[in-house]
Amino acid sequence: MALCDYMPALLCRFPALSDSTIRVGRKAIDDGFKGLVRSYASIIDAAVQPLQTFLNFLERLFVGSPWPITLALMLTIVYFGSRDLKVTIGTAFAMFFIGLFGLWNDAMVTLAMTTVCTIFAVLLGMPIGILMSRFDRVQSFVNPILDVMQTMPSFVYLIPVVMIFGIGKVPGMIAVVIYAIPPMIRLTNLGIRLVDKEVLEAADAFGSSSWQKLRNVQFPLALPTIMAGINQTIMMSLAMVVVASMVGVGGLGKNVLGAINNQFFTVGFLNGFALVAIAIIFDRTSQAYGKRLQKHSEVVHG
Amino acid sequence: MEKLLAATILAAGLYAGSGSAQAADCGSVSIAEMNWASAGVAAQVDKFILENGYGCTVNLVTGDTMPTFASMNEKAEPDLAPEFWVDSVRTALDAAIAEGRLIQAAPLLSEGGVQGWWIPKFLADAHPDIKTVQDALKHPDLFPAPEDPKRAAVYNCPPGWNCQISTANLYKALGADKLGFDLVDTGSAAGLDGSIANAFEKKIGWLGYYWAPTAILGKYDMIKLPFGVEHDKKEWDACTAIPDCPNPKLNGYPVAGVYTIATKAFTEKAGVAMDYVKTRKWDNQTVSKVLAWMSENQGTNEDAAKYFLQSYPDLWTTWVSPEVAEKVKAAL
Repeated sequence: MALCDYMPALLCRFPALSDSTIRVGRKAIDDGFKGLVRSYASIIDAAVQPLQTFLNFLERLFVGSPWPITLALMLTIVYFGSRDLKVTIGTAFAMFFIGLFGLWNDAMVTLAMTTVCTIFAVLLGMPIGILMSRFDRVQSFVNPILDVMQTMPSFVYLIPVVMIFGIGKVPGMIAVVIYAIPPMIRLTNLGIRLVDKEVLEAADAFGSSSWQKLRNVQFPLALPTIMAGINQTIMMSLAMVVVASMVGVGGLGKNVLGAINNQFFTVGFLNGFALVAIAIIFDRTSQAYGKRLQKHSEVVHG
Repeated sequence: MEKLLAATILAAGLYAGSGSAQAADCGSVSIAEMNWASAGVAAQVDKFILENGYGCTVNLVTGDTMPTFASMNEKAEPDLAPEFWVDSVRTALDAAIAEGRLIQAAPLLSEGGVQGWWIPKFLADAHPDIKTVQDALKHPDLFPAPEDPKRAAVYNCPPGWNCQISTANLYKALGADKLGFDLVDTGSAAGLDGSIANAFEKKIGWLGYYWAPTAILGKYDMIKLPFGVEHDKKEWDACTAIPDCPNPKLNGYPVAGVYTIATKAFTEKAGVAMDYVKTRKWDNQTVSKVLAWMSENQGTNEDAAKYFLQSYPDLWTTWVSPEVAEKVKAAL
């Protein structure tokens, strides 16, 4: 403070652009963006309509089915995924308590949302990860983008997204996928890159094509890492549910938001724990399933 | 309250007139800068006047209604919330005032906060038959729901705000569900604002809860539709504002009380500034104009506060003594 009194002004005040210049620039970009939204509104709407219909359908399916059927189906999937009675019984208990506290429908809405987001992130992330592991140039191009996706505060892109798509499940899903897809991409890339060179040499020696090498050597050996990626993606999708609620997605996240705004600690914790329970169910099932997929057991995160 | 105010104004006048210049030390004050535009500008105006006029050291604390209130009530921090919509915490606030923890100062918005159901002006111009909310509900085709074009939508206020409960009850009272309208949860203030922006960019209809003075209403021309009934306070408190009230009746929105709230510590620390905090208020039209300027020029809260101080000296010089006014003018 005092030091600046004896120094030339240039050293104490960063030579920034003038406020008016920055303002004009910001206004121009904003107006340009709005113009784009205006001119492409109908095309954008038509493009996301199928996705919207699918999301609506899935939510109705999850919420509208009688709960014993949903629960039975869920337990079946969990059992055949994990082959573990403990996990299955735990799931039954968790879902029972979620229902007992009147959160069944909200949990179903959240479940539908996370399921779609996770599937989307895996289907989209895995090919990108494989491409990255193949080509160094792709890796150096995609990595900074992933850094942005993981660190950019979600509201920065949520506001334009809401302006384009309105509020609801589509912008919510975009927000969740942007946040949840990077670990999938990164860990797929990493897993494949970490496959032992000698194993690949052996595969080359037997004359495998690059497709055979990927399918029969690299992918199976990278599986533990890829499973960790899927697991992280699931966890991050669930963590983003609350932020997705800020743009009009229902479910547990909405309750959490309401509880935060009203300072209802109990409601917040109940809904928060419901999210945790769902996350653990997803996690244990996918982990156990992933383990069974690999004949070569390596260290699995857990 | 009015008597108290009158007395304070009188006292302030005497105080200023007696020439015992604000020599008292003000100290360090924390002000809540709420996360909506009008309150943010008010906080910056207070900061500027308290720092330059009264010699306080002001730090701004980002806030939101509920967390800020809880913190002021329990921890006496921040010292001052310039724009506080008191209806959402009426009971707790009354208790805090009775126990001397908090002080309700001037009604910052002299006309209070206006709330209700609004539609875009371009829609009202195109359909002159829409004069009331009931008229709007006759046209479900004009207000497509965001996730289901077959249904119409009434946009609700964000979860956790009091207006969410009252809007849901009025929606029920109007039987809007049978008329093909869904009550859409917007999730957050940003979601609600985004849905309005989206409707205006695409030139489609929008019907839902909003309040003034706000930047959105400065930016987008909207019309508030009457419900055709007066505000009935008894019914409001007994049912309209109660979650899951079994049989809500039609009711008008009350005008929300918007006050400055200060902690007891503030009155002790910044006694000299207390008169200012107890006298300053502005009207919705001024606020809307300032907010419109702000969104037009993409200004920050601070820019808007400076703009206000430069453009409306006739208004704000009435809040402070001539000496303070001189100091503030010199700093501009």
